[in-house]
Amino acid sequence: MKVEIIRNYELVKGIWQMDITGNFPYDKVEPGQFIHIRVGEGYDHLLRRPISIAEVDPEKSLLTVVYKIVGEGTKWLALQRAGAALDILGPIGNGFITQKSRRSLVVGGGIGTPPLYELTKQLVGKSEQVDVFLGFRTSADVFWLERFASLADVRVFTEDGQRGSRGFVTQGIISQLSEDENTWDNIYACGPVAMLRAVKEIIQNMKIGGGASLEERMACGVGACHGCTCKTAGQVSKRICVDGPVIPWQEVAL
Amino acid sequence: MRPDMSIDFLGLKLKNPVMPASGCFGFGKEYAKYYELNKLGAIVVKATTQQARLGNPTPRVAEVWGGMLNSIGLANPGMEKVISEELPWLQSYDIPIIVNVAGETIEEYCIVVDRICKSNLAHAIELNVSCPNVEHGGLSFGADIKVLTGLLEAVRRVCTLPLIVKLSPNVRDIGEIALAAQASGADGLSLINTLLGMKIDINTGRPVLARAVGGLSGPAIKSVGIRMVYEVAKQVKIPILGIGGIYSAEDLIEYIMAGATAVQVGTANFTNPMAIPEIVAGLDEYMGRKGIKNLAEIRGCAL
Repeated sequence: MKVEIIRNYELVKGIWQMDITGNFPYDKVEPGQFIHIRVGEGYDHLLRRPISIAEVDPEKSLLTVVYKIVGEGTKWLALQRAGAALDILGPIGNGFITQKSRRSLVVGGGIGTPPLYELTKQLVGKSEQVDVFLGFRTSADVFWLERFASLADVRVFTEDGQRGSRGFVTQGIISQLSEDENTWDNIYACGPVAMLRAVKEIIQNMKIGGGASLEERMACGVGACHGCTCKTAGQVSKRICVDGPVIPWQEVAL
Repeated sequence: MRPDMSIDFLGLKLKNPVMPASGCFGFGKEYAKYYELNKLGAIVVKATTQQARLGNPTPRVAEVWGGMLNSIGLANPGMEKVISEELPWLQSYDIPIIVNVAGETIEEYCIVVDRICKSNLAHAIELNVSCPNVEHGGLSFGADIKVLTGLLEAVRRVCTLPLIVKLSPNVRDIGEIALAAQASGADGLSLINTLLGMKIDINTGRPVLARAVGGLSGPAIKSVGIRMVYEVAKQVKIPILGIGGIYSAEDLIEYIMAGATAVQVGTANFTNPMAIPEIVAGLDEYMGRKGIKNLAEIRGCAL
Protein backbone atom coordinates (compact mmCIF):
# COMPACT_ATOMS: atom_id res chain seq x y z
CA MET A 1 0.00 0.00 0.00
CA LYS A 2 1.04 3.58 -0.60
CA VAL A 3 1.49 5.82 2.43
CA GLU A 4 2.80 9.32 2.90
CA ILE A 5 5.78 10.45 4.92
CA ILE A 6 4.89 13.17 7.43
CA ARG A 7 8.26 13.57 9.15
CA ASN A 8 11.65 11.92 8.79
CA TYR A 9 14.48 13.06 11.02
CA GLU A 10 17.58 11.94 12.88
CA LEU A 11 17.13 11.22 16.59
CA VAL A 12 20.74 10.46 17.46
CA LYS A 13 23.62 9.72 15.14
CA GLY A 14 22.55 7.12 12.59
CA ILE A 15 19.09 6.53 14.12
CA TRP A 16 16.08 8.06 12.39
CA GLN A 17 12.42 8.45 13.18
CA MET A 18 9.83 8.40 10.43
CA ASP A 19 6.15 9.20 10.87
CA ILE A 20 3.84 8.10 8.11
CA THR A 21 0.15 8.32 7.39
CA GLY A 22 -2.25 6.65 5.03
CA ASN A 23 -4.96 4.06 4.75
CA PHE A 24 -3.36 1.74 7.30
CA PRO A 25 -5.16 -0.56 9.78
CA TYR A 26 -3.72 1.28 12.80
CA ASP A 27 -6.06 -0.26 15.33
CA LYS A 28 -5.12 -3.78 14.26
CA VAL A 29 -1.43 -3.39 15.11
CA GLU A 30 0.03 -5.73 17.72
CA PRO A 31 3.17 -4.38 19.36
CA GLY A 32 6.18 -6.11 17.80
CA GLN A 33 4.73 -6.32 14.30
CA PHE A 34 6.61 -4.75 11.41
CA ILE A 35 6.08 -3.12 8.05
CA HIS A 36 7.98 -4.23 4.94
CA ILE A 37 9.20 -1.13 3.14
CA ARG A 38 10.13 -0.84 -0.52
CA VAL A 39 13.32 1.19 -0.86
CA GLY A 40 15.03 2.76 -3.86
CA GLU A 41 13.90 3.42 -7.40
CA GLY A 42 13.60 0.96 -10.26
CA TYR A 43 15.82 -2.07 -9.76
CA ASP A 44 18.18 -0.42 -7.23
CA HIS A 45 16.84 -2.51 -4.36
CA LEU A 46 14.68 -5.54 -4.99
CA LEU A 47 14.14 -6.64 -1.41
CA ARG A 48 11.99 -4.69 0.96
CA ARG A 49 13.29 -3.69 4.39
CA PRO A 50 11.47 -5.02 7.46
CA ILE A 51 11.17 -2.27 10.08
CA SER A 52 9.37 -2.68 13.41
CA ILE A 53 6.42 -0.50 14.22
CA ALA A 54 7.40 1.80 17.07
CA GLU A 55 4.05 3.45 17.65
CA VAL A 56 0.61 3.78 16.12
CA ASP A 57 -1.84 6.55 16.77
CA PRO A 58 -5.20 5.52 15.27
CA GLU A 59 -6.79 8.87 16.09
CA LYS A 60 -4.19 10.86 14.20
CA SER A 61 -3.76 8.11 11.58
CA LEU A 62 -0.08 8.02 12.35
CA LEU A 63 2.43 5.19 12.18
CA THR A 64 5.94 5.69 13.53
CA VAL A 65 9.04 3.66 12.81
CA VAL A 66 12.58 4.16 14.09
CA TYR A 67 15.39 2.76 11.99
CA LYS A 68 19.15 2.64 11.95
CA ILE A 69 21.15 3.39 8.84
CA VAL A 70 23.03 0.17 8.20
CA GLY A 71 23.25 0.00 4.42
CA GLU A 72 22.12 1.45 1.13
CA GLY A 73 18.43 0.72 1.72
CA THR A 74 18.17 2.53 5.04
CA LYS A 75 20.40 5.30 3.65
CA TRP A 76 17.77 5.80 0.93
CA LEU A 77 15.03 5.84 3.57
CA ALA A 78 16.80 8.64 5.44
CA LEU A 79 16.89 10.71 2.23
CA GLN A 80 13.11 10.69 1.87
CA ARG A 81 11.39 13.93 2.74
CA ALA A 82 7.99 14.82 4.16
CA GLY A 83 5.30 14.49 1.51
CA ALA A 84 7.01 11.65 -0.31
CA ALA A 85 5.13 8.42 -0.94
CA LEU A 86 6.27 5.13 0.52
CA ASP A 87 5.28 1.63 -0.58
CA ILE A 88 4.77 -0.63 2.44
CA LEU A 89 3.25 -3.98 3.31
CA GLY A 90 1.84 -4.67 6.72
CA PRO A 91 1.32 -4.88 9.56
CA ILE A 92 3.08 -8.25 9.40
CA GLY A 93 3.81 -10.99 11.91
CA ASN A 94 2.93 -12.10 15.39
CA GLY A 95 3.63 -9.46 17.99
CA PHE A 96 4.00 -9.51 21.77
CA ILE A 97 1.03 -11.00 23.58
CA THR A 98 -0.09 -8.62 26.28
CA GLN A 99 -2.39 -9.86 28.99
CA LYS A 100 -3.63 -8.92 32.42
CA SER A 101 -0.74 -9.45 34.80
CA ARG A 102 0.84 -8.32 38.03
CA ARG A 103 4.24 -7.08 36.91
CA SER A 104 6.01 -7.11 33.55
CA LEU A 105 9.51 -6.32 32.38
CA VAL A 106 10.27 -4.79 29.00
CA VAL A 107 13.91 -5.22 27.94
CA GLY A 108 15.43 -3.43 24.99
CA GLY A 109 18.86 -3.04 23.50
CA GLY A 110 19.87 -0.31 21.06
CA ILE A 111 17.84 -0.26 17.86
CA GLY A 112 15.75 -3.09 19.35
CA THR A 113 13.99 -0.67 21.69
CA PRO A 114 11.50 1.13 19.36
CA PRO A 115 8.85 -1.65 19.06
CA LEU A 116 8.89 -1.85 22.84
CA TYR A 117 7.43 1.63 23.02
CA GLU A 118 4.10 0.58 21.52
CA LEU A 119 4.32 -2.55 23.67
CA THR A 120 4.81 -0.52 26.85
CA LYS A 121 1.92 1.72 25.85
CA GLN A 122 -0.36 -1.29 25.49
CA LEU A 123 0.96 -3.00 28.63
CA VAL A 124 0.26 -0.07 30.90
CA GLY A 125 -3.20 -0.73 32.26
CA LYS A 126 -3.01 -4.46 31.60
CA SER A 127 -0.01 -5.10 33.78
CA GLU A 128 -0.29 -3.58 37.25
CA GLN A 129 3.36 -2.60 37.12
CA VAL A 130 5.62 -2.21 34.10
CA ASP A 131 9.40 -1.98 34.40
CA VAL A 132 11.48 -0.96 31.41
CA PHE A 133 15.21 -1.75 31.17
CA LEU A 134 16.91 -0.18 28.18
CA GLY A 135 20.52 -0.74 27.17
CA PHE A 136 22.63 1.40 24.85
CA ARG A 137 26.30 1.35 23.92
CA THR A 138 27.08 4.93 25.02
CA SER A 139 25.15 7.89 26.35
CA ALA A 140 25.24 9.35 22.82
CA ASP A 141 23.20 6.42 21.55
CA VAL A 142 20.32 6.90 23.97
CA PHE A 143 17.00 7.89 22.39
CA TRP A 144 13.30 7.99 23.32
CA LEU A 145 14.14 7.72 27.00
CA GLU A 146 11.70 10.46 27.97
CA ARG A 147 8.97 8.84 25.93
CA PHE A 148 9.42 5.54 27.77
CA ALA A 149 9.74 7.34 31.11
CA SER A 150 6.37 9.00 30.55
CA LEU A 151 4.79 5.53 30.51
CA ALA A 152 6.66 3.45 33.05
CA ASP A 153 9.62 3.10 35.40
CA VAL A 154 12.73 3.07 33.25
CA ARG A 155 16.26 1.98 34.06
CA VAL A 156 19.02 2.76 31.58
CA PHE A 157 22.25 0.88 31.13
CA THR A 158 25.18 2.08 29.05
CA GLU A 159 28.43 0.26 28.45
CA ASP A 160 30.44 3.38 29.30
CA GLY A 161 28.33 4.20 32.34
CA GLN A 162 27.88 7.85 31.24
CA ARG A 163 24.14 7.50 31.50
CA GLY A 164 22.26 5.27 33.94
CA SER A 165 24.03 2.21 35.26
CA ARG A 166 27.26 0.98 33.76
CA GLY A 167 26.92 -2.41 32.10
CA PHE A 168 24.23 -4.49 30.48
CA VAL A 169 20.51 -4.77 31.06
CA THR A 170 21.02 -8.40 31.99
CA GLN A 171 22.88 -7.35 35.15
CA GLY A 172 19.78 -5.47 36.26
CA ILE A 173 17.64 -8.53 35.57
CA ILE A 174 19.96 -10.87 37.45
CA SER A 175 20.18 -8.69 40.53
CA GLN A 176 16.43 -8.21 40.73
CA LEU A 177 15.66 -11.90 40.18
CA SER A 178 18.22 -12.95 42.77
CA GLU A 179 16.24 -10.92 45.29
CA ASP A 180 12.88 -12.25 44.14
CA GLU A 181 12.50 -14.88 41.46
CA ASN A 182 8.81 -14.05 41.20
CA THR A 183 9.32 -10.38 40.40
CA TRP A 184 7.91 -10.58 36.90
CA ASP A 185 5.12 -12.61 35.29
CA ASN A 186 6.33 -11.70 31.82
CA ILE A 187 9.52 -10.49 30.23
CA TYR A 188 9.38 -9.00 26.74
CA ALA A 189 12.63 -8.40 24.88
CA CYS A 190 13.99 -6.99 21.65
CA GLY A 191 17.63 -6.30 20.90
CA PRO A 192 20.90 -7.94 19.91
CA VAL A 193 20.93 -11.75 19.81
CA ALA A 194 23.57 -11.82 22.57
CA MET A 195 21.18 -9.92 24.85
CA LEU A 196 18.22 -12.16 24.01
CA ARG A 197 20.32 -15.26 24.58
CA ALA A 198 21.50 -13.95 27.97
CA VAL A 199 17.93 -13.17 29.05
CA LYS A 200 16.77 -16.61 27.95
CA GLU A 201 19.56 -18.24 29.97
CA ILE A 202 18.74 -16.24 33.07
CA ILE A 203 15.04 -17.12 33.06
CA GLN A 204 15.00 -20.58 31.51
CA ASN A 205 14.23 -22.42 34.75
CA MET A 206 11.75 -19.86 35.99
CA LYS A 207 8.06 -19.52 35.34
CA ILE A 208 8.21 -16.36 33.29
CA GLY A 209 6.11 -15.71 30.21
CA GLY A 210 6.57 -13.32 27.34
CA GLY A 211 8.99 -13.67 24.47
CA ALA A 212 11.75 -12.34 22.30
CA SER A 213 11.48 -10.44 19.05
CA LEU A 214 13.90 -11.76 16.44
CA GLU A 215 15.47 -10.27 13.37
CA GLU A 216 16.80 -11.86 10.20
CA ARG A 217 17.53 -10.92 6.61
CA MET A 218 14.21 -11.23 4.83
CA ALA A 219 13.04 -11.52 1.27
CA CYS A 220 9.28 -11.85 0.72
CA GLY A 221 8.07 -10.87 4.21
CA VAL A 222 4.85 -12.79 3.65
CA GLY A 223 5.96 -16.29 4.65
CA ALA A 224 6.48 -17.71 1.17
CA CYS A 225 10.22 -17.84 0.62
CA HIS A 226 11.50 -19.34 3.89
CA GLY A 227 14.47 -16.98 3.82
CA CYS A 228 14.13 -15.78 7.43
CA THR A 229 13.54 -18.98 9.34
CA CYS A 230 14.83 -19.84 12.79
CA LYS A 231 15.04 -23.12 14.58
CA THR A 232 12.86 -23.45 17.63
CA ALA A 233 12.65 -25.94 20.47
CA GLY A 234 11.99 -29.39 19.06
CA GLN A 235 13.88 -28.60 15.84
CA VAL A 236 10.85 -27.03 14.25
CA SER A 237 11.53 -24.27 11.80
CA LYS A 238 9.60 -21.02 12.10
CA ARG A 239 9.46 -18.14 9.67
CA ILE A 240 10.47 -15.02 11.53
CA CYS A 241 8.30 -12.81 9.27
CA VAL A 242 4.93 -14.45 9.80
CA ASP A 243 5.37 -17.01 12.62
CA GLY A 244 7.47 -14.42 14.51
CA PRO A 245 9.02 -11.95 14.81
CA VAL A 246 8.06 -12.48 18.46
CA ILE A 247 8.64 -16.05 19.63
CA PRO A 248 7.67 -17.19 23.15
CA TRP A 249 10.64 -17.92 25.47
CA GLN A 250 9.87 -21.61 25.74
CA GLU A 251 10.02 -22.02 21.96
CA VAL A 252 12.83 -19.72 20.97
CA ALA A 253 16.24 -21.28 20.31
CA LEU A 254 18.98 -18.65 20.33
CA MET B 1 -11.73 -8.09 -29.20
CA ARG B 2 -9.48 -8.86 -26.26
CA PRO B 3 -6.21 -10.57 -27.03
CA ASP B 4 -6.11 -14.28 -26.26
CA MET B 5 -3.45 -14.84 -23.61
CA SER B 6 -4.25 -18.51 -23.16
CA ILE B 7 -1.77 -21.17 -24.10
CA ASP B 8 -1.64 -24.89 -24.39
CA PHE B 9 1.22 -26.36 -22.41
CA LEU B 10 1.74 -30.13 -22.35
CA GLY B 11 -1.99 -30.68 -22.84
CA LEU B 12 -2.84 -28.28 -20.03
CA LYS B 13 -4.93 -25.24 -20.83
CA LEU B 14 -3.42 -22.16 -19.20
CA LYS B 15 -5.44 -18.91 -19.03
CA ASN B 16 -2.24 -16.95 -19.42
CA PRO B 17 1.46 -17.77 -19.70
CA VAL B 18 2.50 -16.58 -16.22
CA MET B 19 3.17 -18.83 -13.25
CA PRO B 20 5.24 -18.36 -10.11
CA ALA B 21 8.67 -19.99 -9.99
CA SER B 22 9.10 -22.79 -7.49
CA GLY B 23 10.35 -21.65 -4.11
CA CYS B 24 9.18 -18.09 -4.62
CA PHE B 25 5.53 -18.68 -3.86
CA GLY B 26 5.39 -21.29 -1.12
CA PHE B 27 2.29 -23.41 -1.73
CA GLY B 28 0.23 -20.38 -2.66
CA LYS B 29 -1.49 -19.60 0.65
CA GLU B 30 0.57 -16.52 1.45
CA TYR B 31 -0.14 -14.84 -1.89
CA ALA B 32 -3.81 -15.84 -1.84
CA LYS B 33 -4.13 -13.08 0.77
CA TYR B 34 -3.07 -10.58 -1.86
CA TYR B 35 -5.06 -11.73 -4.89
CA GLU B 36 -7.28 -14.40 -6.36
CA LEU B 37 -4.97 -17.29 -7.36
CA ASN B 38 -7.18 -17.97 -10.37
CA LYS B 39 -5.34 -15.06 -11.97
CA LEU B 40 -2.30 -17.33 -12.33
CA GLY B 41 -1.69 -19.27 -15.52
CA ALA B 42 -0.62 -22.16 -13.31
CA ILE B 43 1.02 -22.62 -9.94
CA VAL B 44 4.42 -24.18 -9.34
CA VAL B 45 4.76 -25.09 -5.69
CA LYS B 46 7.83 -25.27 -3.49
CA ALA B 47 10.30 -28.08 -4.07
CA THR B 48 9.02 -31.20 -2.37
CA THR B 49 11.29 -33.91 -0.99
CA GLN B 50 10.51 -37.25 0.62
CA GLN B 51 11.22 -36.14 4.19
CA ALA B 52 10.74 -32.69 5.68
CA ARG B 53 13.76 -30.41 5.32
CA LEU B 54 14.56 -27.43 7.55
CA GLY B 55 16.96 -25.94 4.99
CA ASN B 56 20.27 -24.18 5.44
CA PRO B 57 21.44 -21.96 8.31
CA THR B 58 20.58 -18.25 8.11
CA PRO B 59 21.31 -15.74 6.68
CA ARG B 60 19.87 -17.42 3.62
CA VAL B 61 19.08 -14.35 1.57
CA ALA B 62 21.09 -11.31 0.55
CA GLU B 63 20.38 -8.44 -1.75
CA VAL B 64 22.86 -7.74 -4.53
CA TRP B 65 22.77 -5.20 -7.32
CA GLY B 66 19.96 -6.06 -9.70
CA GLY B 67 19.01 -9.21 -7.86
CA MET B 68 19.32 -11.34 -4.79
CA LEU B 69 21.15 -14.40 -3.55
CA ASN B 70 19.37 -17.23 -1.79
CA SER B 71 20.53 -20.40 -0.13
CA ILE B 72 17.26 -21.66 1.31
CA GLY B 73 18.25 -25.29 0.84
CA LEU B 74 14.92 -26.81 -0.21
CA ALA B 75 13.13 -26.25 3.10
CA ASN B 76 9.75 -28.01 2.83
CA PRO B 77 7.40 -30.09 5.00
CA GLY B 78 8.01 -33.35 3.10
CA MET B 79 5.77 -35.10 0.55
CA GLU B 80 3.20 -36.54 2.95
CA LYS B 81 2.41 -33.16 4.46
CA VAL B 82 2.43 -31.54 1.02
CA ILE B 83 -0.14 -34.10 -0.10
CA SER B 84 -2.29 -33.94 3.02
CA GLU B 85 -2.07 -30.23 3.87
CA GLU B 86 -1.01 -28.17 0.87
CA LEU B 87 -2.22 -29.66 -2.40
CA PRO B 88 -5.85 -30.37 -1.37
CA TRP B 89 -6.40 -26.69 -0.59
CA LEU B 90 -5.21 -25.69 -4.07
CA GLN B 91 -7.83 -27.91 -5.74
CA SER B 92 -10.49 -25.26 -5.23
CA TYR B 93 -8.72 -23.07 -7.78
CA ASP B 94 -9.11 -23.45 -11.50
CA ILE B 95 -5.37 -23.57 -12.23
CA PRO B 96 -3.02 -26.38 -13.18
CA ILE B 97 -0.82 -27.44 -10.26
CA ILE B 98 2.80 -28.20 -11.02
CA VAL B 99 4.73 -29.87 -8.21
CA ASN B 100 8.46 -29.28 -8.13
CA VAL B 101 10.27 -32.41 -6.93
CA ALA B 102 13.80 -32.62 -5.54
CA GLY B 103 15.83 -35.43 -4.08
CA GLU B 104 19.23 -36.55 -2.95
CA THR B 105 19.15 -39.90 -4.74
CA ILE B 106 17.46 -41.35 -7.83
CA GLU B 107 15.38 -43.46 -5.48
CA GLU B 108 14.12 -40.44 -3.57
CA TYR B 109 13.15 -38.60 -6.77
CA CYS B 110 11.23 -41.70 -7.92
CA ILE B 111 9.44 -42.16 -4.59
CA VAL B 112 8.28 -38.54 -4.49
CA VAL B 113 7.26 -38.41 -8.17
CA ASP B 114 5.34 -41.67 -7.81
CA ARG B 115 3.58 -40.47 -4.65
CA ILE B 116 2.62 -37.10 -6.17
CA CYS B 117 1.35 -38.72 -9.41
CA LYS B 118 -0.76 -41.24 -7.49
CA SER B 119 -2.21 -38.53 -5.23
CA ASN B 120 -4.22 -37.17 -8.18
CA LEU B 121 -3.63 -33.71 -6.75
CA ALA B 122 -1.20 -32.42 -9.38
CA HIS B 123 -1.23 -31.84 -13.12
CA ALA B 124 2.47 -31.93 -13.89
CA ILE B 125 5.83 -32.58 -12.28
CA GLU B 126 8.76 -30.19 -12.47
CA LEU B 127 11.93 -32.09 -11.69
CA ASN B 128 14.47 -29.94 -9.88
CA VAL B 129 17.92 -31.00 -11.04
CA SER B 130 19.38 -27.56 -10.63
CA CYS B 131 19.26 -26.41 -7.01
CA PRO B 132 22.69 -24.97 -6.22
CA ASN B 133 22.09 -24.88 -2.47
CA VAL B 134 22.27 -28.48 -1.33
CA GLU B 135 25.18 -30.81 -0.59
CA HIS B 136 23.63 -33.83 -2.24
CA GLY B 137 21.33 -34.01 -5.24
CA GLY B 138 20.14 -30.81 -6.86
CA LEU B 139 22.63 -29.41 -9.31
CA SER B 140 24.77 -32.55 -9.22
CA PHE B 141 21.96 -34.29 -11.14
CA GLY B 142 21.61 -31.57 -13.73
CA ALA B 143 25.20 -30.79 -14.61
CA ASP B 144 26.27 -34.17 -15.95
CA ILE B 145 24.56 -35.74 -18.95
CA LYS B 146 25.11 -39.32 -17.85
CA VAL B 147 23.76 -38.73 -14.35
CA LEU B 148 20.81 -36.73 -15.68
CA THR B 149 19.94 -39.40 -18.24
CA GLY B 150 20.04 -42.10 -15.57
CA LEU B 151 17.74 -40.07 -13.32
CA LEU B 152 15.25 -39.20 -16.05
CA GLU B 153 14.99 -42.75 -17.32
CA ALA B 154 14.19 -43.94 -13.80
CA VAL B 155 11.73 -41.12 -13.07
CA ARG B 156 10.02 -41.55 -16.45
CA ARG B 157 9.07 -45.10 -15.50
CA VAL B 158 7.05 -43.92 -12.50
CA CYS B 159 5.91 -40.52 -13.75
CA THR B 160 2.39 -40.65 -15.17
CA LEU B 161 2.07 -36.86 -15.44
CA PRO B 162 3.75 -34.47 -17.87
CA LEU B 163 7.39 -34.22 -16.82
CA ILE B 164 9.14 -30.87 -16.91
CA VAL B 165 12.85 -30.72 -16.13
CA LYS B 166 14.23 -27.54 -14.56
CA LEU B 167 17.73 -26.87 -15.79
CA SER B 168 20.67 -25.05 -14.29
CA PRO B 169 22.60 -22.29 -16.02
CA ASN B 170 25.71 -23.44 -14.11
CA VAL B 171 26.73 -25.84 -16.89
CA ARG B 172 29.20 -25.78 -19.78
CA ASP B 173 26.68 -26.37 -22.56
CA ILE B 174 22.98 -25.90 -21.79
CA GLY B 175 21.98 -27.12 -25.27
CA GLU B 176 23.65 -30.46 -24.72
CA ILE B 177 21.90 -30.92 -21.36
CA ALA B 178 18.54 -29.89 -22.83
CA LEU B 179 18.88 -32.36 -25.70
CA ALA B 180 19.79 -35.13 -23.27
CA ALA B 181 16.74 -34.32 -21.14
CA GLN B 182 14.50 -34.41 -24.20
CA ALA B 183 15.99 -37.73 -25.32
CA SER B 184 15.46 -39.28 -21.86
CA GLY B 185 11.80 -38.47 -21.62
CA ALA B 186 11.34 -34.86 -20.56
CA ASP B 187 8.07 -33.43 -21.91
CA GLY B 188 9.11 -29.86 -21.24
CA LEU B 189 11.95 -27.76 -19.83
CA SER B 190 12.16 -24.92 -17.32
CA LEU B 191 15.14 -22.62 -17.56
CA ILE B 192 16.99 -21.07 -15.94
CA ASN B 193 17.43 -21.83 -12.26
CA THR B 194 19.73 -19.46 -10.35
CA LEU B 195 23.35 -18.69 -11.13
CA LEU B 196 25.84 -19.36 -8.35
CA GLY B 197 26.92 -16.13 -6.71
CA MET B 198 28.45 -14.75 -3.56
CA LYS B 199 28.52 -11.58 -1.48
CA ILE B 200 31.06 -10.58 1.16
CA ASP B 201 30.38 -8.14 3.97
CA ILE B 202 33.44 -5.92 3.72
CA ASN B 203 33.00 -4.76 7.32
CA THR B 204 33.32 -8.25 8.74
CA GLY B 205 35.32 -9.76 5.90
CA ARG B 206 32.93 -12.71 5.92
CA PRO B 207 30.40 -14.02 3.38
CA VAL B 208 26.91 -12.62 3.99
CA LEU B 209 25.22 -15.98 3.47
CA ALA B 210 25.81 -18.60 6.15
CA ARG B 211 26.56 -21.12 3.43
CA ALA B 212 28.84 -18.59 1.69
CA VAL B 213 27.44 -19.13 -1.81
CA GLY B 214 23.89 -18.94 -3.12
CA GLY B 215 21.74 -18.69 -6.20
CA LEU B 216 21.56 -15.36 -7.97
CA SER B 217 18.14 -14.36 -9.31
CA GLY B 218 16.38 -11.21 -10.44
CA PRO B 219 16.78 -8.75 -13.32
CA ALA B 220 20.57 -9.23 -13.17
CA ILE B 221 20.21 -12.69 -14.76
CA LYS B 222 17.54 -11.92 -17.36
CA SER B 223 19.91 -11.65 -20.29
CA VAL B 224 21.47 -15.01 -19.36
CA GLY B 225 18.01 -16.58 -19.22
CA ILE B 226 17.03 -15.10 -22.58
CA ARG B 227 20.24 -16.35 -24.18
CA MET B 228 19.80 -19.85 -22.77
CA VAL B 229 16.12 -20.13 -23.74
CA TYR B 230 17.08 -18.93 -27.23
CA GLU B 231 19.91 -21.44 -27.50
CA VAL B 232 17.79 -24.34 -26.23
CA ALA B 233 14.73 -23.42 -28.29
CA LYS B 234 16.84 -23.68 -31.43
CA GLN B 235 17.68 -27.29 -30.57
CA VAL B 236 14.75 -28.96 -28.84
CA LYS B 237 11.18 -29.73 -29.89
CA ILE B 238 9.64 -29.76 -26.39
CA PRO B 239 8.12 -26.58 -24.89
CA ILE B 240 10.14 -24.29 -22.66
CA LEU B 241 9.19 -22.31 -19.57
CA GLY B 242 11.38 -19.20 -19.49
CA ILE B 243 12.65 -18.07 -16.08
CA GLY B 244 15.01 -15.36 -14.93
CA GLY B 245 14.46 -11.76 -13.94
CA ILE B 246 10.93 -11.29 -15.25
CA TYR B 247 9.48 -8.12 -13.70
CA SER B 248 7.21 -6.87 -16.47
CA ALA B 249 5.13 -7.87 -19.47
CA GLU B 250 7.99 -6.62 -21.67
CA ASP B 251 10.39 -9.07 -19.99
CA LEU B 252 7.86 -11.84 -20.60
CA ILE B 253 7.51 -10.90 -24.28
CA GLU B 254 11.28 -11.10 -24.65
CA TYR B 255 11.26 -14.68 -23.34
CA ILE B 256 8.38 -15.62 -25.68
CA MET B 257 10.30 -14.16 -28.61
CA ALA B 258 13.33 -16.21 -27.54
CA GLY B 259 11.16 -19.31 -27.88
CA ALA B 260 9.51 -19.83 -24.49
CA THR B 261 5.93 -21.11 -24.38
CA ALA B 262 5.25 -19.59 -20.97
CA VAL B 263 7.23 -18.06 -18.13
CA GLN B 264 7.80 -18.27 -14.41
CA VAL B 265 8.12 -15.26 -12.14
CA GLY B 266 10.28 -15.58 -9.03
CA THR B 267 12.08 -12.72 -7.32
CA ALA B 268 9.55 -10.14 -8.52
CA ASN B 269 7.02 -11.62 -6.07
CA PHE B 270 9.27 -10.54 -3.20
CA THR B 271 9.63 -6.99 -4.47
CA ASN B 272 5.91 -6.73 -5.10
CA PRO B 273 3.41 -9.36 -3.95
CA MET B 274 1.11 -8.23 -6.77
CA ALA B 275 3.81 -8.80 -9.42
CA ILE B 276 2.11 -11.66 -11.27
CA PRO B 277 -1.39 -10.14 -11.69
CA GLU B 278 0.29 -6.87 -12.71
CA ILE B 279 2.42 -8.66 -15.32
CA VAL B 280 -0.69 -10.47 -16.63
CA ALA B 281 -2.56 -7.15 -16.89
CA GLY B 282 0.48 -5.65 -18.59
CA LEU B 283 0.56 -8.49 -21.10
CA ASP B 284 -3.10 -8.02 -21.94
CA GLU B 285 -2.49 -4.33 -22.48
CA TYR B 286 0.68 -4.94 -24.51
CA MET B 287 -0.96 -7.49 -26.81
CA GLY B 288 -3.93 -5.19 -27.34
CA ARG B 289 -1.70 -2.23 -28.14
CA LYS B 290 0.49 -4.21 -30.54
CA GLY B 291 -2.40 -6.03 -32.18
CA ILE B 292 -1.12 -9.45 -31.11
CA LYS B 293 -4.11 -11.80 -31.03
CA ASN B 294 -2.26 -14.86 -29.79
CA LEU B 295 1.23 -15.37 -28.40
CA ALA B 296 1.90 -17.99 -31.09
CA GLU B 297 2.27 -15.06 -33.50
CA ILE B 298 5.47 -13.95 -31.81
CA ARG B 299 6.74 -17.12 -30.17
CA GLY B 300 10.31 -17.80 -31.17
CA CYS B 301 10.33 -14.94 -33.66
CA ALA B 302 13.91 -14.12 -32.65
CA LEU B 303 15.15 -17.59 -33.52
